[in-house]
Amino acid sequence: MGRIGKVTAAAAALLPMGGCVEVTAPERPIEINLNINIRQEVVVRLQEDVRELIQQNPGVF
Amino acid sequence: MSRRMKLMVAAGLGLAMVAGGTAYAFVVQDAAAELRASGAVGEQADGYMGVVGSASADVRAQVDQINIQRRARYTELASQRGATIEEVAAATACQLFATRVGPGQYYRLPDGVWRRRNGSEPVPRPGHCG
Repeated sequence: MGRIGKVTAAAAALLPMGGCVEVTAPERPIEINLNINIRQEVVVRLQEDVRELIQQNPGVF
Repeated sequence: MSRRMKLMVAAGLGLAMVAGGTAYAFVVQDAAAELRASGAVGEQADGYMGVVGSASADVRAQVDQINIQRRARYTELASQRGATIEEVAAATACQLFATRVGPGQYYRLPDGVWRRRNGSEPVPRPGHCG
């Protein structure tokens, strides 16, 4: 096997390891993330809707 | 049983149900407000409630319960309005900050710091509120 062949074989052997990602279940069901990506114009447009939502769901808000 | 007796029993049952329903509504109605008033829980800029310090397991369970219900409402409204759940939640936070955080109660802006509302000074609105 030539030098290039050896390097290629080594890279091929390492590839599956690099692709292995450990996944664990989150401890809590809801993640509170304050760095949210939101469109401000949508937030402004929704104000009347959410005012009603709050009034119609006492105890939740 | 006479007709009159039957009517009286029916009326009594109806009254009991109304009274029970009112009592139940009262308990449920104040859950979020009571948690905020306790000082252990505050409102966050992301539209969910958060535990301010190290609260008891019972308080944390109540907060989780409320947040699960909030998320369900946000999800529903988001699908009706073509917005994301996060956008509906953030829009709700704007209203909650303006109308539901009482004097001495806690709020949390996107910087992640819990602050206490000083007297009747207005609560700062999160930047996304416009």
